[in-house]
Amino acid sequence: MKFRAYLAASIVAIAAAAAPRVANAEVSPLDLVGPIAEYKIFIGENLEKLVSETKAFTDAIKAGDLEKAKKLYAPTRMNYEIVEPVAELFSDLDGSIDSRADNHELKEKDPAFTGFHRLEYGLFSQNSTEGLAEFADKLQADVVELHKRITDLTFPPEKVFGGAATLMEEVAATKISGEEDRYSHTDLWDFKANFDGSRKIFELARPLIERGDGAFVTKVAGNFDTVGKTLSKYKTAEGYELYDKLTDDDRAVLAAAVNTLAEDLSTLRGKLGLN
Amino acid sequence: MTKDRDNNPFMTSRRGLLLGAGAAGSVLAAGITTSQAANSHGEQVTDAPVSDKMLEQQPFHGQYQSGIVTPRPAAGMVASFRVLASKPEEVERLFRSLTERIAFLMKGGTPPALDDKLPPADSGILGPVVLPDNLTITVSLGASFFEQREWLSPHKPARLSRMKAFKNDALDQSLCHGDLSLQISSNTPDTNIHALRDILKNLPDLMVLRWKQEGSVPVLPRSPDGTHQSARNFLGFRDGSANPDAGDAGLMQRIVWVQDSGDEPAWARNGCYQAVRIIRNFVERWDRTPLGEQERIIGRLKPSGAPFGGRTETEVPDYAKDPDGAVTPLDAHIRLANDRSKAADAHLILRRPFNYSNGVSKSGQLEQGLLFICYQADLEKGFIAVQNKLNGEPLEEYIKPIGGGFFFTLPGVAGADDFLGRTLLEAAGHPPTNTKS
Repeated sequence: MKFRAYLAASIVAIAAAAAPRVANAEVSPLDLVGPIAEYKIFIGENLEKLVSETKAFTDAIKAGDLEKAKKLYAPTRMNYEIVEPVAELFSDLDGSIDSRADNHELKEKDPAFTGFHRLEYGLFSQNSTEGLAEFADKLQADVVELHKRITDLTFPPEKVFGGAATLMEEVAATKISGEEDRYSHTDLWDFKANFDGSRKIFELARPLIERGDGAFVTKVAGNFDTVGKTLSKYKTAEGYELYDKLTDDDRAVLAAAVNTLAEDLSTLRGKLGLN
Repeated sequence: MTKDRDNNPFMTSRRGLLLGAGAAGSVLAAGITTSQAANSHGEQVTDAPVSDKMLEQQPFHGQYQSGIVTPRPAAGMVASFRVLASKPEEVERLFRSLTERIAFLMKGGTPPALDDKLPPADSGILGPVVLPDNLTITVSLGASFFEQREWLSPHKPARLSRMKAFKNDALDQSLCHGDLSLQISSNTPDTNIHALRDILKNLPDLMVLRWKQEGSVPVLPRSPDGTHQSARNFLGFRDGSANPDAGDAGLMQRIVWVQDSGDEPAWARNGCYQAVRIIRNFVERWDRTPLGEQERIIGRLKPSGAPFGGRTETEVPDYAKDPDGAVTPLDAHIRLANDRSKAADAHLILRRPFNYSNGVSKSGQLEQGLLFICYQADLEKGFIAVQNKLNGEPLEEYIKPIGGGFFFTLPGVAGADDFLGRTLLEAAGHPPTNTKS
């Protein structure tokens, strides 16, 4: 029932979104300086966590501690997923840190298949830390390099505010299916990080658009809440249930919310007067 | 939301209500049915749609195969096969049988009537008489066709290779490569399907289907002034504006057809290289990208297809006056693919793509994209060089090549006594053993 009501609501929302809208003319580039500076701090904090937690994760692998490594996989990855709109600007590192087996001709056997998912494959599918040390070292070196590059980066405003939608596109295109963490089935952790990363950007923009477009802000916040409520059903003491626990109805609710958020947040850049 | 609805000129309150109930589609459909019913003369819902183009016919015989410089019709398909024929006489039978079937299908005619205790000779999906419907079937061979037959491997075209993954590719091996490809195109998908089924039925022992991809091209009304426009791809942009003029025979000799000069084997003269790519487009994401960014990524204005600052799609952008990319970004798709310099002339290719729409991904997104097909006399200077220039382009965020392959398109069939691949068999020391298949 709930699912049907949701679908009907989103059909109306999509049709309404097709109406031409005018960007908030009042937002000046100077207004964006503060939020972008704050976002840079947010990203910096998450990157520091990424570096230190990846260290613990890769140390566990190299020490041959399979159980600990498995436990650290999903929470460590969340730090990457939350900074993805910025991390993606470096496509070489994004490829070596976060590519999936399908991106490589020889799939899991391809030597260019490295990063989180290569380690995930070893830990969860092969159930072993054997032969992973080299990939562990590479991942650690890559996240250190990423941290360094992002520290030196001037954040392009359109990428920052476009990032809120980018994160939803990630979820919509590859995560809603459970293909992303196909060996560990820890996709809900990724979801959570993507939503948190997206919501952060939205909240930074919120004061700039709230007065001119209150209905938009209310709608987007409402969809984030729907996602939060749905995900919280799957919260466990240590994180989240495995992806196969997600019911078809909840998956549909999440899919509709993600699609609606992606549609709405894709207008965020334009609303802020960005190209 | 209420406010948005009030602002939307297309959504009256009545329709808004209906839309909420999911009935807007049937309101529209009802409107169309009503107007059609007024014009009908006893037509029934299941009547076959009518076309006045069923008799359109392309020549099968000629210096070159049809389907390359032939204007692209609305429906296309690439089918890739594993070939079982291995000895020279088996390969000859394969070539002769293909020749015979394609000659029939492109011309049309009445399939033989058999005893009704037997399966019929033809699938019958086009009726008892097969009409040509503008059909072309173009036969090309993959590198493996030569490499897996010792007696043919010395005769492999000089630049034919197995397609390697480019940087942005995520190739699904079950959609890649093949010993032999058929490009089938015609006015309607059904004519293509009929042709494919005919060939499968007639050559079951010689080749096995590995993968296929069908596609289409959006049709346009005839323009009052007789001008033509390039069709649009599933990104909504005109695709083909800078394609070389296929009606210019001299140009085609230089760009498309393998000539006597150079290091290609003599048998390959009047053949060409075919590159096929199945390129998934992330259309939902694309549709959520600001128009200005879409245009900067492609390098053209979306409505007209004109380059920035231009009015028509055929205008040539002047990059010499725009060295820093202030008008057309340096990494725009069309600028990377062809920077319009003298040097870029060496890399021209003839594109003949179709749009495809397959189904729904595991994530519930549309599996749509471009069935990219191009032809050129030099695969390395053509498609491979152009794709290498495109590697890393901003468009990559929205596209993902997942399949395809490289093939060599055989020279044409001169006349009724000739057959596809004859020059290759002769070059390999196996002149035709008989004149009838």
